[in-house]
Amino acid sequence: MTIYKPELARINKVERMTDTECFFEAELLSGKSLGHQPGQFVEVSVFGVGEAPFCVSSPPSNRPTFELCVRAVGNVTSALHNKRPGDKIGIRGPLGKGFELQHFRGKDVLFVAGGLGLVPLRSLIWSVLNSRQDYGKVYILYGAKRPREFLFRDELENWEARTDVEYHSTVDIGDENWKGNVGVITTLFPNIQFDPNTTQVVVVGPPIMYRFVIRELKNRHVPDENIWVSLERKMKCGVGKCGHCQINNIYVCQEGPVFNYKQIKDLPEAI
Amino acid sequence: MVKSKNLGGTNLGTRLVAKKDFLALIDKAIKAGKEVVAPVRQETQANFKKIRSTNEILWGGPQTVVPPKWLLFPQEEELIEYDVNDEVKIKPIVGKKPVVLVGIHACDMNGAFLLDKVFADKNLDENYLKKRELLTIIGVDCLVPCTQNSFCYRKKSEGPWGGFDLFLTDMGSNFFVEVGSERGAELISNITRDATRQNIAKLKTLRKKRDSLFNKKQRKLKPKLADLPALLKKNYDSKVWEEHGAKCFSCGSCNMVCPTCYCFDVRDCMELNLKHGDRSRFWDGCLLTDFTRIGSGEVFREDRGARLRHRTNRKDWYLFEKWGKSFCTGCGRCGTACLTKIVDPLDIANELYAERKR
Repeated sequence: MTIYKPELARINKVERMTDTECFFEAELLSGKSLGHQPGQFVEVSVFGVGEAPFCVSSPPSNRPTFELCVRAVGNVTSALHNKRPGDKIGIRGPLGKGFELQHFRGKDVLFVAGGLGLVPLRSLIWSVLNSRQDYGKVYILYGAKRPREFLFRDELENWEARTDVEYHSTVDIGDENWKGNVGVITTLFPNIQFDPNTTQVVVVGPPIMYRFVIRELKNRHVPDENIWVSLERKMKCGVGKCGHCQINNIYVCQEGPVFNYKQIKDLPEAI
Repeated sequence: MVKSKNLGGTNLGTRLVAKKDFLALIDKAIKAGKEVVAPVRQETQANFKKIRSTNEILWGGPQTVVPPKWLLFPQEEELIEYDVNDEVKIKPIVGKKPVVLVGIHACDMNGAFLLDKVFADKNLDENYLKKRELLTIIGVDCLVPCTQNSFCYRKKSEGPWGGFDLFLTDMGSNFFVEVGSERGAELISNITRDATRQNIAKLKTLRKKRDSLFNKKQRKLKPKLADLPALLKKNYDSKVWEEHGAKCFSCGSCNMVCPTCYCFDVRDCMELNLKHGDRSRFWDGCLLTDFTRIGSGEVFREDRGARLRHRTNRKDWYLFEKWGKSFCTGCGRCGTACLTKIVDPLDIANELYAERKR
C-alpha cells in the first residue's frame, strides 16, 4: 500500500441530473463504509484517463455506499459520465478536513449554496436534517444560473415542504415556468431573519459568490468565526505533496477544503 | 512501510583515505554492477550521470545544469500500474535499486535534506523514501565558488546540513572523510585511517580560507537570513513582483533546475491495447500558467508576478517558517536558467530590502 494506490469501488447507479451533471452512487469493493465527514473529498480514478478530486455528496453513514455529483468539464469528469452501473473506479480517501458537527450542534444553521456548491453542502445538510432535533432553526438558500440547473430536485421539494426548514431559492435568469425569485443569491437574504450570534453560516459556491455573501453576512453582524466555507482548488495528490492546491502557506487538501472564515480571511489568495 | 529514520549526516567520526584507494573502491563497485552516479562533462556543460569509471567524475565543477534531485524524485516516475480486464488490478510501483551518488555538492545535499523532511511529513511518500533509503550519498566539499550566481554562503549552505553517508574534502593525495552514517562507515572501513590532529587542523584552515573566499566572491544578501520570512510578509504587495512578473516568460526553468522544487503533476497513460495502463508523476512548476487551473477553466494564480511571488515565498517564507530552514540553498541555478534574470531569490530579497528603506 502506498499513498497513491486507490481502492476499488463499483458504480451502482448513474443518473443524469442536468445537462451537465451526473449523480453517482458507488460502493467500495471491500464492503467497508467510506467513513467520511461531511465536506471531505475523495480522489476518483478513471483508469486510463486520470484522477480528480470530488467532495462526497452523501452524509456519513454505516452503509458501504456513497454518492457523488459530477459536472462534465474535463477529461476525468467526462469519462465518469460515460460510466455505467457495474463499472469500476478507484477511490483514495476520504481526504482533507470536513465540517465538524460539534460546531453546529445546538445552534441555528444557515446554508448558502451557489450552483455546484450544493454538492458538498448536501452532505452536511442531510447530516443536520437526519438528527434534526440536535439543531436549532435551519435555513437553506440555494441559487443556480437557470432553473434547469437545479440539482437534487426531489430533495429541494422535500426541503421546501418541510416545516422545520426554511428554504428559499433563486436563479440568475428565469424561464417561462419559473415563478420564484430572480437575482443573485444575496437577494434572498431579506426573506430570512436569523440571529447572527447563534447561527452558524455555511457558504459554498463559486469564488465570486463568497465576496457578496460574506459582505451580506457582515452587514448582518455575523462574527467571522460563525462563517464556514469550502474552497475549490486544483488538486493532484490530495495528500499535501504536489503543491497545486496551495493558498499562500496553506495546503487546501490538508487544512481544508472546509475552513472557518477566520482562518482564511487574511490570506490574499483565498478567494 | 518505510519509516522516517536517520538518513545519515550524524557525525560518526573523521577519517583519512588515499584518493587512489577511494577511487579504486568505487571502480570496484561499478565493476561489481553497482549503479554509481556522479557529475560528468556533457558537451559544454556538466550533468549528473551514471558513470562507468571514476575517471569521468568532475570533482571541482563546473556546476551541473540540474541537481541530482531526479535520483530521488525523477522527472517522470510511475506511481501505480493497472490492468483493466473483467477485474481491475492495481499495483503500486516503488523503486528498489540501490544507487551510489558521488560528488554531490553541499547545496544539492541540503536540497535533499529538505526534501527528506517534506516527503516524510505526515503522509509518507514511499516512492521517494524507498529511493532515499537505497541512495548512498558521498558529498564533496566546495573549496572555491562554482559560479557567479551561486550564493550558498549567504544561505549558510556552503557545508552540508546532514543527510550524507560520507563527506569528502580534497587534501591533495588524500580525502578527509566525515562519516555521516553506519552505511558510510562500513563502505570505507578497510581503506581508511583515523584523521590525525594535523589533518583536522588542516581541514579547519581549508574551511576558513573557503569561507573568506566565498564571503569575498559571492554577492551579498543585505537583509539577515533569519529576517527573510518577515521581509517577504511585509512586502507581499510590493511593486517588485509586478515589475519582475512583467518580464517573466512563465517558462518554469527556475522550477526545473531547483534542488528543492518538488511540485508534481499526475497523469495516466493507457497502452494501445487499452488493458494495461500506468499513472505517473511529472515535475510541475508553479511559474507555469496552468499550475492552478481547475476543470472549469479558472486559474487561481493568473498573474505572472503573483506566481513569482508564490515561488519566492515558498522558499523563504512558507516553508522556511514551517521547517526552520530556508528552502533556497543558494545554488544559484534559477538565476542562471532564468531567461530574463528576474527570478534570483537573492536579488529579489535585496530589492525588497532596498525598497523597505526607501
